[in-house]
Amino acid sequence: MGAWVGQQMDLQRKLEILADAAKYDVACTSSGVDRGNGKKGMGNCIAPGICHSFSSDGRCLSLLKILFTNECVFDCKYCINRRSNDVPRASFTPQEVCDLVIGFYRRNYIEGLFLSSGILRSPDVTMELLYQTLYKLRREYDFQGYIHVKAIPGADARLIEKTGYLADRMSVNLELPTAEGLQALAPQKKREKMLAPIQQVQKGCTQNKQELMLYRHAPKFVPAGQSTQMIIGATGENDWQILKVAEHMYRRYELKRVFYSAFLRVNEDSLLPVLPGGPPLLREHRLYQADWLLRFYGFGAEELLTEDKPDFNLLLDPKCDWALRHLERFPVEVMKADYHTLLRVPGIGYRSAQRIVKARRLGTLDYQNLKKMGVVLKRAVYFITCGGKQMYPVKLKEDYILRNLLDGKEKLPGGAKKEVSYRQLTLFDDPRFSV
Amino acid sequence: MTHVFQCEDTLTGMMTGVYDAWDSRLGHQKVRLTTAQNIDREFFCEYVWVKPDLTKAEKVLRTVRERLGEEAYEMIAYAASYPDERKADAIYRMIVLGLSLPVGRQISGMLTQPDVQLVFELKRKAWHIAHRYLGFVRFRELRTGVLLSEIDAEADVLALIAPHFTDRLPMENWVIYDRGRQKAAVHPLGKGFFILEEVKEEEFFGICNSKKEECFEALWKTFHRAIGIEERTNTRLQGSLLPGKYRRFMNEFSTEKTYA
Ligand code: SF4
Repeated sequence: MGAWVGQQMDLQRKLEILADAAKYDVACTSSGVDRGNGKKGMGNCIAPGICHSFSSDGRCLSLLKILFTNECVFDCKYCINRRSNDVPRASFTPQEVCDLVIGFYRRNYIEGLFLSSGILRSPDVTMELLYQTLYKLRREYDFQGYIHVKAIPGADARLIEKTGYLADRMSVNLELPTAEGLQALAPQKKREKMLAPIQQVQKGCTQNKQELMLYRHAPKFVPAGQSTQMIIGATGENDWQILKVAEHMYRRYELKRVFYSAFLRVNEDSLLPVLPGGPPLLREHRLYQADWLLRFYGFGAEELLTEDKPDFNLLLDPKCDWALRHLERFPVEVMKADYHTLLRVPGIGYRSAQRIVKARRLGTLDYQNLKKMGVVLKRAVYFITCGGKQMYPVKLKEDYILRNLLDGKEKLPGGAKKEVSYRQLTLFDDPRFSV
Repeated sequence: MTHVFQCEDTLTGMMTGVYDAWDSRLGHQKVRLTTAQNIDREFFCEYVWVKPDLTKAEKVLRTVRERLGEEAYEMIAYAASYPDERKADAIYRMIVLGLSLPVGRQISGMLTQPDVQLVFELKRKAWHIAHRYLGFVRFRELRTGVLLSEIDAEADVLALIAPHFTDRLPMENWVIYDRGRQKAAVHPLGKGFFILEEVKEEEFFGICNSKKEECFEALWKTFHRAIGIEERTNTRLQGSLLPGKYRRFMNEFSTEKTYA
């Protein structure tokens, strides 16, 4: 017993260091796979994802998010774990990670594991350790819970492939939106090197889909797909550039998610900007909203921003902003408009749009019904009619609507800025969450 | 004269009520269902106490599933768990209306109809509560190896969440105890779960924790503290997403004061 307690002390310390070191990674969802347990081992996954707790910054916690090691040989300027920093260092063993995951999972603290890592000696050595950890969890412990693992750029493709058969999701962080940004702040990283594993995993997923059609029981390769992350505001890109990159990642590489992370100045470095307002949380929030519009509302990046108007209006969510610039398309009659038109109405989410389409076939809608279906009338009233009538007389004039919208709750400048922070990660995380 | 069928506040109770009300052949306009136990009796009503009957309830549920579809079934099961005195009657009317439609499955989408709308609304509320508990349930390991969890849920969610944990932890003995209702979902290793009624707290809470329990709780607290980003601290947001009533049972908050 004594030895065990001693080990636990050690593990406490490591966990403290390696959770702290992982906290800046924003992806923490467990969504995208449904997997029953099949009566053995431990664990399952449900597609909408589950929040197990909320951290002090208001983010949903669902995965044990840790670095395998922060003994990193790289020196990326923006990163707290860069080689030139004097911070406490630690590395787990695969066994220790398994103990934590199984112990936490049984107690229902977590949905699974998010395993990232600094570069220990070399990309291959690091990737091999991540592989061993996953192998142990899946094969020795028969763990069926969610696993998100980082693919280490520059690691042997075979190692990445083997790991992919054990993980639910893989990700490579782009870190910065453009290759130039990367060159400036993370010269040891190359854009091509990061895209190579992304491309490899994409190819693997496509092949796997075909295999699964032929053999239902073929092993699954990264079933929840890939994600990536970009730091916002460390380099000079505008929102338009960032959104274009995101759109490209969705279209070209079939990514499931792109995460945005407001730049936090954790290191003193002349190459890093000093942002007077602190981390650009509101900007990050608007990017998440826009990202949502790309993925679920049929918008293209070009519709939301242009080279001449390259940044989001921080005062207004991107959908309202778009609607105000396209008043000629409104008002929309909810009893008649098709699904895709409904989707573009501010205040109508895709769930409410589905409900409207279904319900109006079977009866006549009124504003009360719309409200019950989840339509946010406060925003929608300016843009809809129901049975030919407005809810109350409103003018279809840009400045009139703008003023009224800004009078509402979404008024976010100045002091209210903190309010938005990570809400997107909880409310916007998965569409199925917002029934 | 209206006949009021007083049902037990459980899915079985209400489904038996649906059966009996229908079977009474009084006519749908002449009957009403309620789960309220202490009601001001109205003069022109006759009150009938419905004795919960598993066979009757199962018959009704089977009909619902077959004729009105899975979605309607789920709506009813969830709505029935939510504390609202209007639910039994709304569920009854939804079933009556559904069975009168040429295509029964359309009933779940008829959100312009007030009873369906109410059932839908209650289902949504109950679903949110149940979904939260999937994450917020905390097990601790007892000396006997049994995993024990305690909740105090606003809706009767035990039967709604137990299937999830049965699938997730099939090789464990676990118990989820609903303190307010004095009910427990009990899962013996390798088997299905069952619900025990009228369980006294002492029956589970006399046993002490396993030796490793303390270590894991400490590890979890360490993780929970370390993962928050200081520069983004937003305890108000945290508080609104995770109200005190849930925190009471979550060990990562056990040293903080509760806001219940
Ligand atoms: S590779 Fe760069 S970003 Fe990753 S841990 Fe090392 S220094 Fe940090």
